Amino acid sequence: MEIGLGLGILGAAIATLLAGIGSAIGIGIAGQSSAGVISEDPDKFGLTIVLTALPGTQGIYGLIMGFLILFRTGIMGGEVLALTTPQGLGLLFAALPIGFVGWYSAIFQGKAAAAGIQMIAKRPEEFGKAMIYPVMVETYAVFALLMSIMIFMFLPF
Amino acid sequence: MAIAKMKKVFLVGHQEEKDCTLGLLQRIAVMEVSDLQGKAADAALSGLVEGDREQGALQELEARLAEVRFALDFLNRYFPAKKGMLSSLEDNRALLTLEDFKAQAAVWEQQAKEVYGELRRADEKLVSLRNEETRLQNLRAQLQPLEKLDLPLEELRSTAQVGLELGILPSDELDPFRAAVQAAAPEALLQEIYGDREETYLLLAYAASSVEALKEALKQFSFSRQEFPSLRGTAAQNLARIEEELGGTAARRQEILLEAKKQTAWREQLNCYYDYLVMERDKSQLVSHLARTENAFVMEGWVREKDLPLLEHKLATVCHTVVCLARDAAEDEAFPVALENHPYVAPFEFVTTLYGTPKPRSIDPTLPLTPFFVAFFGICMSDAGYGLIIAALAAWMLWKVKLGTGARRIFKVVLACGVSTVIFGSLIGGWFGGLVPLAPLFFDALADPMRMLIYALAIGIFQIFTGMGIMFYRKVREGKWLDAVYDELFWVLFLSGLILLAFPQTAGLARVLAPAAGVGLVLTQGRTQEGIVRKFVSGLFSLYNVTGYLGDILSYSRLLALGLATSVIAMSVNMLSFMLGGTLIGAVVMVVMLAFGHLFNMVINILGAYVHSSRLQYLEFFNRFFESGGRPFKPFKLNTNHVHVTLD
Repeated sequence: MEIGLGLGILGAAIATLLAGIGSAIGIGIAGQSSAGVISEDPDKFGLTIVLTALPGTQGIYGLIMGFLILFRTGIMGGEVLALTTPQGLGLLFAALPIGFVGWYSAIFQGKAAAAGIQMIAKRPEEFGKAMIYPVMVETYAVFALLMSIMIFMFLPF
Repeated sequence: MAIAKMKKVFLVGHQEEKDCTLGLLQRIAVMEVSDLQGKAADAALSGLVEGDREQGALQELEARLAEVRFALDFLNRYFPAKKGMLSSLEDNRALLTLEDFKAQAAVWEQQAKEVYGELRRADEKLVSLRNEETRLQNLRAQLQPLEKLDLPLEELRSTAQVGLELGILPSDELDPFRAAVQAAAPEALLQEIYGDREETYLLLAYAASSVEALKEALKQFSFSRQEFPSLRGTAAQNLARIEEELGGTAARRQEILLEAKKQTAWREQLNCYYDYLVMERDKSQLVSHLARTENAFVMEGWVREKDLPLLEHKLATVCHTVVCLARDAAEDEAFPVALENHPYVAPFEFVTTLYGTPKPRSIDPTLPLTPFFVAFFGICMSDAGYGLIIAALAAWMLWKVKLGTGARRIFKVVLACGVSTVIFGSLIGGWFGGLVPLAPLFFDALADPMRMLIYALAIGIFQIFTGMGIMFYRKVREGKWLDAVYDELFWVLFLSGLILLAFPQTAGLARVLAPAAGVGLVLTQGRTQEGIVRKFVSGLFSLYNVTGYLGDILSYSRLLALGLATSVIAMSVNMLSFMLGGTLIGAVVMVVMLAFGHLFNMVINILGAYVHSSRLQYLEFFNRFFESGGRPFKPFKLNTNHVHVTLD
């Protein structure tokens, strides 16, 4: 296997891996908070589940980048390309924004979501506001995904 | 976009008709009753009236409510009612007229008393059974280690010549203990009955003469003596008896529950009676909001202007002595805020109220946000197949299930979002990620993301300008013409100029527009500052706000990113599933995987689309014009779950 192809696969792995770790931690934090609230008031399950699931999107964004790279290199569903080293590096770099930003933003989003969950324990009518803070964190994961996709789309090959 | 016009209403009537008036208000649910006792309401009234209160009646109702609640809780705990999956959304309230409801309540009252009595007795029996069981279980735990001891428990005591003691010792003290016993009383017998890592049960026998020596020697050990003065027979015999008694209590419990289960026949009646009591209790509670004179009651509150004729008409026909006076809200009087929108738009009010209630005399953002919210949801989902499923599900719920008011509104929103997803999906996305090979009608966002990005940002600019337009309108309405021009128009022109710079055809115009509007901003944005230098510096710095606008516009790129996310995952689901096809089993697995994969993708993206569509309204759109902080209008109404009282 060419080094270029290996680098591309490394990109797919890194995007999925880092963002996935972040989401797992983030949901874990929010989930603990939710469980605490549910033990007091099981009726709030519907509200807490939305906030708990929020940090999960980064893992999905990472997965998307991983799939895109696998399609492009032909590892999934096509002819496997013989990539040069710079081409492989390009794919690897394309994976970095969503990998790293996804990782960290999911953790901090999880913390913001946990705080929001505590908030709706006391004031369920303020659900809209409790949702805004974690979603503000998510913005940067969306930007990172966008940049990852842009780099990926405009790689010259 | 409307905040309902409110009228302040005063009702004055004879005490005799107080209950009838409260009942009417409760059933027509158009009036919010203010608390006349909380604040000194109208100074003019305060000398004439005193507070009203029905403490006795209220306590009586609360007590009966507590009884019915106890009975219902008991039944629901031991014999949960079967519920359909959709029961929390459905509205299955029985329709009754007030007369029927009252007549029935008299019957239910008697029944409820009996049921409560039965269940209370059953509960007491269950509690004493539980105490008995706990006692037996504790004793069993105490006796179990002694099972092997074949000495009857009543003989576990010292005689004149022989001392006999049963005790528990921490296991790690066993060896030193043995040595100490040996040293103090060489004749003593030490038998180990039971031991584990924690504790050892010991039987210690010794000559009565060594009792003092032993006592001294064993001081340092935590040897705790056990005695069972009330038990006869060996531990094993006692254990068998305990098992038997526990079996007996279990059977008793079954008997009690079986007897109590007969009362489930009255569950529905209890529910209805509970509603009746809640209705009466709410009225009784509200009395403390009123004021009274010797023979009259006084009530103050708010009514929507359009509901006022209904209120006046109903009062005139039902409660004859009651006089209704209404006036507009005073210039600076804060009135409760009710949102009024076209039936197509009204379901989206929840988007607004989840963020906050607008201030009185400000603007209800529901109408302007509705098209954006629906469109954003569609663009974020961007798969026509998913849209079809969402729309079909919502349509089925709306047509086939008898939904409560709240649920009906939500599913109307879901239906609109589903249709929007079909539209945007067929324009720029696909059908189940390409499973149904229909080409996008407009262009494929996945193949040309740059183009989609430009559209997303353009939509963002459009929404932000719309928000500024609304603020412009609002300031003009309040007579602040100049503020509207300085703060909204100049910014719109400045931003437009910057945007137009990007296009060669309009660059000429832009090169004039942007600097001109920029100069306007520099000259006006510092106008609240003192001194010419401060005004100028502050104006100059205001240009820095352009980064805020830039950030907000870029934020709309999420429309593209979330749309792509749906498509890529859907494609991946398809590709992974098709790899399995070929054999028969493979085909089955493939179909299952396609179904679950797409379901998962759909649910995750609904969450994302909803959350991000809301966020764009709350942060990017509301920032431009929305002022929250109003008090929501809460009319006095029936709070019943099983009975709906018709308005005759």
